[in-house]
Amino acid sequence: MLSQTHNAFNFYPQKMLETAIDNDNIPLGYACNNVPRMLLSVGKLFPYRLNAIGLTGGTELADIYLSQVTCSYTRSLLEYAMDDQLEFVQGWIFAAGCDHLRRLYDNFQYILTPDFCYILDVPHKGGHDAISWFSQELKALSVALSDHFQTDINDSNISLAITDHNAMMQSLQNIANFRKNNTPAFSGTEFHRLMHASWTLPIQLMKPVIDKIEKELPERTCPVNDKVRLLVVSSVIDQYEWIEAIENNGALVVADRFCSGAIPQLEICPQTDNPFYDMAAHLLHTNACPRMMDTFAGRLELIIQTVKEYHVDGVIIAPIKFCDIWGVETTQVISFLKEKKIPVLKLERDYSFSGEGQLSTRVQAFIEQIVL
Amino acid sequence: MEIISHIQDQIVYYQSWLKNNQNILKMPLRHGSIQTIQNIYKYPWLLKLANVNRLLTMVTKGRQGNYRKANAAVVEKIVPNLMHLLDNLVMDTDRLVLHEDMVPPEILVAMGLKTWMAELLGILMPIVDSHSVEKYIDIAENSGIPPDVCSLPKSTMGIILNNEAPPVKAILTSNSPCDGGMASYQLIKNKLDIPMFQLDVPYNFYNDRATDYFANELKRMIDWLEYHTPGKMDWDHLHAICEERNKMAAHELELWEAIRQRPAPLAAEAIYLSHLWCFNVTPGDPNGTELFKYLTELANENVQNNIAAVPNEKYRTVLWNPPLLHFIDLFSWAEQQYGLSLIIDSMSYNRQPFIDISTKDAMLKGLAHIIMTGPMARHTRGPAQNYFDDMFYLYTYFDLDMILVAGHIGCKNTAALNGILREKCRKKGIPLLIIDYDLSDPRVVSHDGIIGQMDRFMENIMNK
Repeated sequence: MLSQTHNAFNFYPQKMLETAIDNDNIPLGYACNNVPRMLLSVGKLFPYRLNAIGLTGGTELADIYLSQVTCSYTRSLLEYAMDDQLEFVQGWIFAAGCDHLRRLYDNFQYILTPDFCYILDVPHKGGHDAISWFSQELKALSVALSDHFQTDINDSNISLAITDHNAMMQSLQNIANFRKNNTPAFSGTEFHRLMHASWTLPIQLMKPVIDKIEKELPERTCPVNDKVRLLVVSSVIDQYEWIEAIENNGALVVADRFCSGAIPQLEICPQTDNPFYDMAAHLLHTNACPRMMDTFAGRLELIIQTVKEYHVDGVIIAPIKFCDIWGVETTQVISFLKEKKIPVLKLERDYSFSGEGQLSTRVQAFIEQIVL
Repeated sequence: MEIISHIQDQIVYYQSWLKNNQNILKMPLRHGSIQTIQNIYKYPWLLKLANVNRLLTMVTKGRQGNYRKANAAVVEKIVPNLMHLLDNLVMDTDRLVLHEDMVPPEILVAMGLKTWMAELLGILMPIVDSHSVEKYIDIAENSGIPPDVCSLPKSTMGIILNNEAPPVKAILTSNSPCDGGMASYQLIKNKLDIPMFQLDVPYNFYNDRATDYFANELKRMIDWLEYHTPGKMDWDHLHAICEERNKMAAHELELWEAIRQRPAPLAAEAIYLSHLWCFNVTPGDPNGTELFKYLTELANENVQNNIAAVPNEKYRTVLWNPPLLHFIDLFSWAEQQYGLSLIIDSMSYNRQPFIDISTKDAMLKGLAHIIMTGPMARHTRGPAQNYFDDMFYLYTYFDLDMILVAGHIGCKNTAALNGILREKCRKKGIPLLIIDYDLSDPRVVSHDGIIGQMDRFMENIMNK
């Protein structure tokens, strides 16, 4: 569907990943936004957001351990790792973000016994004590990383990593801002592929790609002729095909409020002389995950603000089946959006991309509902 | 001789039955007829709870001698406590605080506040009547809550969504024991539109840093309660409550020593229902201390006379996860059918029985540790090691023959450990049954379905 010529969005993340590893960069797998990418970006280390986009079969092996009633993201990751598809990852950093991720860590350690496997204790609140607690956790992680990977991780090089991180976030935000225009310069699918690559490749490799895209955007036109503009709210969406399936029906995804998307992950991390506290505060304050106990109103406000800024016509909320926090949150978000007269569609889904026909039917009906 | 024992057992039952009914009838007398009718109209679940004496029948069925007396005593403790809790529906309601079952009420009581455990109805109603929370589960699901969420928070949410919540003025909850429970409270808050405080239990809590962090959480909670309710902290009162709780815990430890004997002098409800109620609903109540003292005496008497709670005890087990709420009499059936004694369960066993009451800070730290390592919370919130270490410790300490896991379909984070558990048990040679069922909803797996799983396990694995 996308034009293959003169398209800065067409780059090759897999080749870039291979290049990074060939150049002795060390990919550290992380499975939740509560893990600070900046801390994993020091020296030769680089953060790789764990995904199982290449998983083609089911999750039969992982189901034996994690059961069939856990989130399919965690089951897919375990299956993918058990099938040696993530062998290139040299360290695993999990976060106690939710029940399912915690149990993924437990099973991962038990089954795969990796050399470096770590879990971060993440508070469910954002007050001073919680931030202090979390910053101590981050310090402990930095010590563990230093020891294991023989890398000097200190305040100074973490501050540099935060500066680089912020620069990349700012560039991505500049691109994302084009989505606020009446005629965005790119599709949601293209942006999704860019974001996915940004979360899985070293900054030094991604930054030139991002800069090139940013430069070309003023000359570009959107490949999707849209009838409606949509915001997608969810947890993890790795497969760009899911966004593409929505856009193939005549909608344009202009905003992505999900873990692997832009909102609110592109927020700039504050910088003081205490980088651990900065990172902790940044993660706890910009966290839009329903796991946080004190930010419900803020999460709703973020959706409303996004709807306004990106001129959204409708919201698709797409929880992964068996996720309790998103399951309960979704009910309340839907009620809230209905009260505000904002069209909303709930699409409960599996992590892997499947059921395109059903997805299209639901999206078509939703678009008709909005247009009428 | 057997006839005399039988008559004595009948007397135990009828005395208890009478006492409980008197306590049940006293409540409408306290409230008056008009208020009672209004209450029944407003809180239809009261009629279900009025049948609480059915619990007596369930826990005494097939039990004899001291075992029967012990179980009857547990119900005799529950009934008046429950009736007094129901007084909170109409009295001093400006002081009524809704608290999560993982946040025990010691501090609230010390502050002069009235308590209503949000999950109490979801726990007690299916015990009294297997099908009684189905209506509330359906209400929650029909409002959009996914069917795969645990049925306990679903039934709790259903009651509140159906406007049947007591007139509470504030909410106190935590991130325990699971994401489903934690998430449900935002919905409850939105529905009731009252202030809420949520305690944050760290992931790793077996260390001083976590205890300090959580004790500070409790301090913030006290400040918050003093601001949002008429409650004022009375440290002397808290001291008295903790001291009484310690006495009760001391008796419980003695009781646990007694049940290590083979055959066990007491089992099942005398052990787990007593703990569930006294430590979670009414800690610090002198009657709870008396109950555990009495249970210990009965157990020791049986030990001295070499009397088994379960005649011809053949097998001893632990029950992991909460008891099967809608099928509470499973173990009286298993006792008769297979000579299987339920010695202890994961909800009763704890590693922190006592609270240091020497200073205010010490008390808060003690309570902090108790909450963090509370029933279910320490197994579902922390690392898997917490789950397995306790399980295998109990297996050895109580000289058990098998492990039964109540594999509640809605408990995803324990389901996610089943694979490891199977392999560990296989390596250790421990017979393991994971019962597939739903905690509160018998429509998912019926009683027959549960019995069928037990039968197959006993026949094929235990070679019975």
